[in-house]
Amino acid sequence: MNKQKTPAGNDPIIDVRRICKTYPGPVIALDDFSITVDRGEVLVVIGPSGSGKSTFLRCLNGLEEVDSGEIIIDGIPLDEDEKKRLQIRREVGMVFQSFNLFPHLTVRKNIDLAQRLVRKKSRIEALEFSLHLLDQVGLADMADRYPHQLSGGQQQRVAIARALAMMPAVMLFDEATSALDPEMIGEVLDVMRGLARRGMTMVVVTHEMGFAREVSDRIAFMEEGRLVEEGCGEVFFSHPERLRTKEFLRQIL
Amino acid sequence: MSTADRCAWRLEIGPALLVYMKKRRPGFARYVDVAKFILVLAACGYLIFRGSEQLGYNWHWQSIPGYLFTVHEGHLQIGPITAGLLITLEITFFSLLLSALVGFAVALLRLSGSFVGRLLAMIYLETIRNTPLLVQIFFLYFVMAPILDIGRFATAVLALSFFEGAYASEIIRSGIVAVPVGQWEASHALGLNRFDTYRAVIIPQAIRRILPPLTSQAVSLLKDSALVSTIAVYDLTMEGRTIIAETFLTFEVWFTVAAIYLVLALVMSFAADQAKSYFQTA
Ligand SMILES: Nc1ncnc2c1ncn2[C@@H]1O[C@H](COP(=O)(O)OP(=O)(O)OP(=O)(O)O)[C@@H](O)[C@H]1O
Ligand SMILES: [Mg+2]
Repeated sequence: MNKQKTPAGNDPIIDVRRICKTYPGPVIALDDFSITVDRGEVLVVIGPSGSGKSTFLRCLNGLEEVDSGEIIIDGIPLDEDEKKRLQIRREVGMVFQSFNLFPHLTVRKNIDLAQRLVRKKSRIEALEFSLHLLDQVGLADMADRYPHQLSGGQQQRVAIARALAMMPAVMLFDEATSALDPEMIGEVLDVMRGLARRGMTMVVVTHEMGFAREVSDRIAFMEEGRLVEEGCGEVFFSHPERLRTKEFLRQIL
Repeated sequence: MSTADRCAWRLEIGPALLVYMKKRRPGFARYVDVAKFILVLAACGYLIFRGSEQLGYNWHWQSIPGYLFTVHEGHLQIGPITAGLLITLEITFFSLLLSALVGFAVALLRLSGSFVGRLLAMIYLETIRNTPLLVQIFFLYFVMAPILDIGRFATAVLALSFFEGAYASEIIRSGIVAVPVGQWEASHALGLNRFDTYRAVIIPQAIRRILPPLTSQAVSLLKDSALVSTIAVYDLTMEGRTIIAETFLTFEVWFTVAAIYLVLALVMSFAADQAKSYFQTA
């Protein structure tokens, strides 16, 4: 993968400092969790079920409030300030496991919506960009269909295009392929691969270890809300430092 | 609220009748059915006729059309019953609009993040649902109307709107919460604000769950509107009472008034069913 990126640690676009998150229960979902992601970097997050991967992503775009700690995205602190929160939501795109397309809108209008309402683009501008994005995810001829008329893989590609329409600085993927039939996983991973190649900053939660190894610049292993270990692709998989990481990798590989 | 009878028709008798009629029956059996139906109808008619005879009641059906319409110097003029019907329709129409507004506002208040807002909505709902409509009408008429300086018609519309609005708000609220949480999250992730999320994402999806029961609610509103005759609003019921007081045509007038309500309610129920099937297939 030959892409232009700044050396690690130089230009963090995501800076997460010692965040804690507890759900009523109480369940400690994130426990003193810190990590940074550089501009153009692809960070893959792995870990057992319930380790807090989704919670971490949801905190990044303000879907969940942290109890303590700091999140700074592109220099903007994600704090109480409503304006800043809105700004961050616009800078951070998210793709969900269950697609969450708007079922009452056509594919094109799904992608138009935020461009029109949030970016205040004209109808024509939005339309053009939507069609461009659809082309990019290989669905140019599906513009006027409704989500329920598409396969799972196609729906997820539309969801990616919809998130890209906001021209986010960061894209979050929460198990984007977990709800898909095996034969459709490839087409979605291809789109994600393309994004990575073009230098999009991505935080990806996935169980696709082949994809993780191939596309990631860095892998983070989480357990019980904590960062156990992080490392670069090949090294991480072949020589994990921690015992827990070894055990986990042995289980899933 | 008097939903029980409407439910009985819509949930049990109506479909049962349909199933019954749709069964493929040989020609002869169908005629037997029709004959049975006419027999039952005739028996009912006979009972009413005999009952009224024993009361010494003299039927005067011939004077009823005059209360519906009169022809005066070549012009068709509406009679008091038709005038009452128009008032009933007017009250129902305005109350329907206003109750939908009230219902929507209260539903949003209940779903809002504001504790005070939720509390206010709960107080409103519990008060309305746990006091008789008649008492609410009297309260508005004797207490609030003089203070606010509003007329009887406005009082009637307000009372009905606040009453039905409580039920409408529950319908609207359940329609809104039935929209999957993923829709909120997707809107949030795209940076939509709360207003746009409701307007462009949530409401268009909730409306198909909301409209059918709201249309049924309109039938209740129509029937409940009869209660405004107690504050001397000259609606269908009040006109009926007035005519009876003058003419003692008790049976004929109540039969006529009931038949008009029945026809209106059936038409609205039919519309509700149409709305339901429309939104289920759409
Ligand atoms: N809304 C919630 N309310 C209460 N507890 C929650 C909620 N969401 C998550 N949790 C709990 O927080 C912990 C972390 O959950 P999270 O969804 O972040 O894990 P995950 O790593 O994404 O797991 P998975 O691989 O199964 O998706 C879990 O114990 C989970 O049960
Ligand atoms: Mg998860």
